[in-house]
Amino acid sequence: MTGARLLRGAVGAAGFIVAGELVLRFVVPDDLSFPPPSTILLETVRLLVDADFLAGIGTTLTNWALGMLIAICVAVPLGVLLGSLPPVERAIRPVLEFLRPIPSVAIIPLAILLIPVDGMMKVSVIVYASMWPILINTLYGMHDVDPLAKESLRSFGFGPLAVLARVSLPSAAPFVATGVRIAAGIALVLAVSAELVAGGAAGLGVYVVQASSGNRVDLMMAATVWAGLFGVAANLVLLAGERRLFHWHRMRTGAHS
Amino acid sequence: MEKTTIKVGALPIPDPVSLYIAQAKGFFKEEGLTVEPQTITGGAVAVPMIESGQLDISQTNYVSTFAAVEKGKKIKLVADMYQAGANCFVIMVPADSPIKTVADLKGKTVLVNNLNNVATLAVETQLKVAGLTKDDVKFAEKPFPEMGNAIKAGQADAGWITEPFITANQSANGFRKLADTMTGQTEDLPIAGWMATEEWVQKYPKTLAAFQRAIAKAQQLASSDRKEIEAMLPKYTKIDAKTASVITLGTYPSELNANRLQKVADLMLEYKYLKSPIDVKSVIAAPASSG
Repeated sequence: MTGARLLRGAVGAAGFIVAGELVLRFVVPDDLSFPPPSTILLETVRLLVDADFLAGIGTTLTNWALGMLIAICVAVPLGVLLGSLPPVERAIRPVLEFLRPIPSVAIIPLAILLIPVDGMMKVSVIVYASMWPILINTLYGMHDVDPLAKESLRSFGFGPLAVLARVSLPSAAPFVATGVRIAAGIALVLAVSAELVAGGAAGLGVYVVQASSGNRVDLMMAATVWAGLFGVAANLVLLAGERRLFHWHRMRTGAHS
Repeated sequence: MEKTTIKVGALPIPDPVSLYIAQAKGFFKEEGLTVEPQTITGGAVAVPMIESGQLDISQTNYVSTFAAVEKGKKIKLVADMYQAGANCFVIMVPADSPIKTVADLKGKTVLVNNLNNVATLAVETQLKVAGLTKDDVKFAEKPFPEMGNAIKAGQADAGWITEPFITANQSANGFRKLADTMTGQTEDLPIAGWMATEEWVQKYPKTLAAFQRAIAKAQQLASSDRKEIEAMLPKYTKIDAKTASVITLGTYPSELNANRLQKVADLMLEYKYLKSPIDVKSVIAAPASSG
């Protein structure tokens, strides 16, 4: 991201905060018990020295990372397998298309009922939700492989595995990376949602539940700001990684982000 | 002891404070028990959590428990937790509301945290005194933290509210108390307790006895010294220290008494929350100390 873009982004965020502050202080003075952005920002910073909150973040981010890791390990090989075997893909596709649109938050109560360990329950829900974008993007990536390149390699006597390793996988990799980046956001949503629905010993969502029942809207909002910041940070890191790794892909497709 | 580490679910509200007192004072440790408290988000998820084994013991409210027992859930009450006191569950209205008495609620909308639970039951007993029934008002569901704003926005006329939201709505919104719902038939109504599955109770009797002893000790401390409660509240709820010192609290009984609890089941039957009577003795897991 260039300096100018960063500056514009910062101006936009600051404008949003100032506007919120003015609206809450002057437009809706007493009709809504909602803290102004300045109070929320102060609490957001203060949470950095709140041991409970930090422990909670540790739990949430661990579940998130673990869920993402498992989702990648399951979805990428599955996507490659289905992408290389069209008849199998055609057979399984209807099941995928049925499962994919089910809102993942809706499976949390089912997971509570079925999985006896709290942490495992949350990670499972994260895996389930974040698997889809990785799987679907991997599939698209496999479909997008240049058939000519595959044919050339075959005509030189390379076996199917060699074709996969030398042509298909490198060609599908940028799609997989995009899937992972989309999945990271979804995984964070599910990591926090599972805590909001099921509670737990500690976590960002657990902190929000505790703050809400203590009537601390300021703390609820501050914790929510952190959730947003983590989402932004994850996206930026993954985007930067994609740019560095797949520079050639961007050149070829002319994609900007 | 059959199991030395247990997970115990509790809501972030004043009711389960003795879990945290027992933890902080080392009462569980003295019994050789390691307790991992878990924040739960409501009674609805607590039952599946003890059934699946995510929790060993969980907070429950008695109305939900007896309703679940009637539906065939194999649940046992293992310890008492919280009993209503004066002014800890009240109906509130805005200061300038035309509603002056419970009878004025006729045709109005009353917010409750859960439909068909202790909230509606408590309001119904007060409606009865005013010559009304539940059909004379409209109940709507809303979480406690959102009730104040919803009433101010005109979505409802009144709310059944508990602490710390009674204090918050009085100071921030200028709401007034219309009625204390824990009077008459509901005076000193048992509200919440600890539950486990029947299977768990049979499998871990010594663990249960250790838990019961530690909790009873903490309940005694909670009921004899309010400062103990105030010190603990900001740690597991985010109630600030100032609010903790002024909120109205109920009582913390040390013994799970079937006669007292029977009142809840009988009221539920009278107001048709139960189809047939429940003998509360059969739902209680007797403390090992008594046998």
